[in-house]
Amino acid sequence: MIGAVLDNPASAKDPPVIADVSFVDEIVAARGAGPDALIPILQAIQDRCHWLPDPALRRVCEVTAITPAQLDSVAGFYAGFRRTPAGEHIVRVCHGTACHVKGSTLVEDALRLYLGIAAGTDSDSQLRFTIQRVACLGCCTLAPVIQIDSITYGHRAADTAPDAVRDFLELQLANPDDHPVPAAAIPDPDAPVIRIGLGSCCVAGGAMRVHDELTREVSRLGGNARVEEVGCVGMCHQTPLVEVAGTGPLSGSSLYTRVSPDSAGSIVRRHVRPRGWWRRIGNAWRDAIDAIIPDDGPALPTRRYAPDACDGEICEFLGPQMRIATEHCGQLDPLDLDAYLAHGGFAAVAAARAMDPAAIIEALSASGLRGRGGAGFPTGQKWSKVAAAPGEAKYVIVNGDEGDPGAFMDRMILESYPYRVIEGVLIAARAVGASEGIFYIRHEYPLAVARIEQALDRCRGRGLLEGVSIRIVQGAGAFVCGEETALIASIEGQRGMPVLRPPYPSEAGLWGKPTLINNVETYAQIPWIVRHGPAAFARIGTGRSRGTKVFALTGKVQRGGLIEVPMGVTFRQIAEQIGGGVAPGRRLKAIQIGGPSGGCVPAELADTPIDYESLAGIGAIMGSGGLVVLDDTDCMVDIARYFLSFTQAESCGKCAPCRLGTRAMLDILQRLCEGKARPDDLRSLESLAGDVKCSSLCGLGQTAPNPVLTTLRYFRDEYQAHLEGRCPAGRCAALIRYEVVDGCIGCTKCAQVCPVGAIESRPYQIHEIDVTRCTRCDICRRECPTSAIVVR
Amino acid sequence: MPTVAIDNQRIEVPDGATLLDAANAAGIEIPTLCHRPGCQPNTSCMACVVRVNGAARLVPSCATVAVEGMVVESETPAVHQARRTALELLLGEHAGDCLAPCEMICPAHMDIPRMLDHIAAGRDREALITIKEAIALPAVLGRICPELCERGCRRSKHDSPVAICKLKRFAADADLASDDVYLPECAALSGHRVAVVGAGPAGLAAALELRRRGHEVTIFDQAPRPGGALRDGVGRDVLPERILDAEIDVIRAVGVRFEQACRLGTDRSLDDLRRGHDAVILAIGAIDAERARELSLPCDAKGLRVDRQTLATPLDGVFAAGASALGPLKHAIRSIASGRSAGQSVDQALRGESPARRHGPFTVRLGVLEPRELEVFLRSADPAARVDGPEGLSVEAARAQAARCLQCACSAQDDCRLRYWSDRYSASPSRYKLERRAVDRIETHPLLVWEPGKCISCGLCVQIAAASGAASGMTFIGRGFQMRIAPAMGADLVQGLESAARRAAEACPTAALRLRAASSDSKSA
Repeated sequence: MIGAVLDNPASAKDPPVIADVSFVDEIVAARGAGPDALIPILQAIQDRCHWLPDPALRRVCEVTAITPAQLDSVAGFYAGFRRTPAGEHIVRVCHGTACHVKGSTLVEDALRLYLGIAAGTDSDSQLRFTIQRVACLGCCTLAPVIQIDSITYGHRAADTAPDAVRDFLELQLANPDDHPVPAAAIPDPDAPVIRIGLGSCCVAGGAMRVHDELTREVSRLGGNARVEEVGCVGMCHQTPLVEVAGTGPLSGSSLYTRVSPDSAGSIVRRHVRPRGWWRRIGNAWRDAIDAIIPDDGPALPTRRYAPDACDGEICEFLGPQMRIATEHCGQLDPLDLDAYLAHGGFAAVAAARAMDPAAIIEALSASGLRGRGGAGFPTGQKWSKVAAAPGEAKYVIVNGDEGDPGAFMDRMILESYPYRVIEGVLIAARAVGASEGIFYIRHEYPLAVARIEQALDRCRGRGLLEGVSIRIVQGAGAFVCGEETALIASIEGQRGMPVLRPPYPSEAGLWGKPTLINNVETYAQIPWIVRHGPAAFARIGTGRSRGTKVFALTGKVQRGGLIEVPMGVTFRQIAEQIGGGVAPGRRLKAIQIGGPSGGCVPAELADTPIDYESLAGIGAIMGSGGLVVLDDTDCMVDIARYFLSFTQAESCGKCAPCRLGTRAMLDILQRLCEGKARPDDLRSLESLAGDVKCSSLCGLGQTAPNPVLTTLRYFRDEYQAHLEGRCPAGRCAALIRYEVVDGCIGCTKCAQVCPVGAIESRPYQIHEIDVTRCTRCDICRRECPTSAIVVR
Repeated sequence: MPTVAIDNQRIEVPDGATLLDAANAAGIEIPTLCHRPGCQPNTSCMACVVRVNGAARLVPSCATVAVEGMVVESETPAVHQARRTALELLLGEHAGDCLAPCEMICPAHMDIPRMLDHIAAGRDREALITIKEAIALPAVLGRICPELCERGCRRSKHDSPVAICKLKRFAADADLASDDVYLPECAALSGHRVAVVGAGPAGLAAALELRRRGHEVTIFDQAPRPGGALRDGVGRDVLPERILDAEIDVIRAVGVRFEQACRLGTDRSLDDLRRGHDAVILAIGAIDAERARELSLPCDAKGLRVDRQTLATPLDGVFAAGASALGPLKHAIRSIASGRSAGQSVDQALRGESPARRHGPFTVRLGVLEPRELEVFLRSADPAARVDGPEGLSVEAARAQAARCLQCACSAQDDCRLRYWSDRYSASPSRYKLERRAVDRIETHPLLVWEPGKCISCGLCVQIAAASGAASGMTFIGRGFQMRIAPAMGADLVQGLESAARRAAEACPTAALRLRAASSDSKSA
């Protein structure tokens, strides 16, 4: 019944009435009508309507094999789905770990105030903007980050958050045709190559606009340079990053960091010789003007280095790093298949095809590789179980449901090295005898999805997939789907609720068939191991932890980014040498590793080597690779509360210890942060944490208490202080107050910036803060020119 | 046929059997809520966890297949602690009083809602039987009771409490006025003889309790006529003697012997009584230090020194009840409760059972209701007003008054598995005060009453509805702490369950889905 009118009187009150649901039939025709098509169908409906209107959902049940019970349970399970109308634009506020420690709560409060979105609701009364808390946008080095529709804004604060909204609205008004990006001309063979990183973080840092400016300027000068998009460079703290590989007198590479669109032109003019003498004259004239009018942007390269030279800060950053999963970092266009092939791409697949499957697995076992998703299960052992499982049909799944707040390794690998992961999948399929592969990628990672999709297309075009059919399934916003049995349920179109193992997926996985599930990074290491041999890999690392590990280094370090280091480097090496330490005047307090399943390692233990066994010894876990550095302004009770509120919100709800136990723990932590805790709360928190850990059904609940247990173990005095109503780090809003001290000169700046009118403007007098109105947004303290506002 | 060891007991089980099956076969009781034979394991409640091979993590026994050589711990403190926590967490959000507040406040824990239900339905004799379970002298108490129970009545938040005490008197008076006065049933003679000293409310209650449990009882009382403080301390206008005598006659009629004008220590010594009886209960009213010395019994500030749980004195086979044990009591109902309690302890001792810890009946407490929640209860209650005054009630007034009861107690209090296991595991209902679910009672289904506030999200009904092929089905809505089970896509319960209604209600471990009583005597079954 195409075009059936399914307008339901019960839903007629909803502002946008969806009367015509014939589009559902088209979606179903494209996505399939089986139970496993449900999540893609819902995603398509939501892409179209911005929410899931009931008439459309009823239509889905009518035209597919999907039951109302399945549909309702799935539509309400995944955070990505909305059952109520959304505003015209969605403002996503990232509450990842890095964003949290840098004040995302204050950013959200400021946005709510600016957009007129009352507490307890998520949209303004005009339904123009809907605010959405998201677990992590994966742009942790730009924290705090917000995203308005598809545009990401980094480095927000309470006072600058509204600027992003204004900028967004201006962009909406601007006609994109005003400044077209011209098609590229063909450059001379010796023309310089301008590389710009276009990972998601780079784009969030404004790299796309820089890219457009570079292209425009190159074209204006006659097109005698190649502008190349490359994957993540890893130095996310410096984005947008532009590297110019020059020729002639400007040979070698020049690296420009934090490039603004305004300075892009001058970079191009420095390196690119204009075609034709008219252009040269014009250029010289323009440079002369540039020299007179001071430019805010970096006219000079931040660092210039010969391809093999290495000095100063960059050297420090790159120093202990070793690239396996992230080989050729920043050098290749992620989708340029020829370039990938030229750099040894698919040689490993060819080698594996020549090997006996058992020999591949043996090599893998010999390499000592362990799963990089967190638990560190020996990869060779997992593969051999799947290979040995009886049955013709087997599956290989890439777990790209990277959900840890504060982690973006998998996103970056998928975006920057799509062919490498595909290669890993092909080798795995060969080894275990599977003919079908599935990439399970978070819906929040559109660029990763697009790159894998295009990379798969190009591989198919060249016949590189040879007999293995590979497709992409997108997650819909559920952290628990990183757990393998929940991930399988999600692919099958169900709620992501884990089931008890055994049986393990290696015996009975997707559709009950033997299934291999590995993390993105694990697959990305396979081709290197096959090409270089297991011994080369096993030589790297320490003890039972071999090879390298990719980490997302974020938080209170000077140089955050995506790093890959040999197993066994210490926390201190990473935080201080690679990360450049905490800001001057601050003290390293702890390093959070492993996200919501991991622990807080205190500064005293910073010399602990990062390997599976050492981490277990101090109560932490390797996790998937989030490393968040915390300094003395971070409150450890608040950190524990933060992680618990994350796991509590992500609990699937199946088993009582996790569903209710995480909530009970969160209640206690909330009381602590508000100074309302009772003396026996610490004991009951500890005992409850123990019970949740030992009796939850899956890894989510079993590890959820870790952040609490480690902070209790290493920072008990801070918990004690909260029991007494004090927050030593000055973080917990209910336990601190802002005060104006003697240095106040009555400049009224604080009164002007206070968003809630808690400070009365009194020129030339000492100001006062009305503590009942004050929301502890910190804007006044940062604005005060004489540091006369203090936190008590 | 794998063999596993549970708590050092070797058990051979068929292939594919779970650890729960193995434990059941060996007579080891493991709590389960979300498990039901014939259904797939839900692994939701985690009350059935066990430890396997000494691992740190516990596993749900209902879903763990027994493997040859497994070493399983079930009845160990650590495993019990985890089970208790799972139960306590479920109780933390549970929206329901197992027992009504009136019953909890009543010192004798009389099942008041059941009494009221009987009276409202015209079953006065059943009402009296319910009362006499807990209160030996209801016609007496119906005149002098301070109405403690009525302070807990939830109806008072709307208008005023149900006149519970008056209704008790109504049922008791009706019985005494009938030709066929109710005589409590007594168990077959046990061969044990018990002496009760004192014929006040505590002594009478203890004697009746013991007699019902099959023991021969003689009351030794110093006054010429039994009744103690009820006869001497209460005005005749309030409590006519004929009422007191009539209720004492019932106790006499079931076989309790009375020896009046017999003072302990003067006419009969305690040793004498102990020699002639298997146990002695002292219910002789408040005792001072001097009197205690006369009896050679240790005392403390309140009275005789007794074990608070069992009311046993340090002297073997000697127990105390009422003011003798608890110090001067203002209310006869407390004496009666204590007398019954002492009777139960003696019975246990005579049977050779170790005295069970007596900690009042287990109940979850709802606490304060939202106005919206109170509405839920008011829907089915009679709008009549409360009746006050010294007179008894007419039959019509009694029916209307009893129908004012909100029936706020749980209809599943006797077969709720959450309550049963929580009681067995001494789970504290208030250890984790989570945001509790909202109270609701949905009565749109012809067969079932649905109380989503009592749902523990176990998923049994979801599974049963799906297996029955219900088109709409029951389903999980939302996730995590906010997850609820409801008919899919806003359908009603009839559509959600279709033909699975009865099976779903039978499987439901709590009162969330419950069959309506076939007749109105829901609770007498």
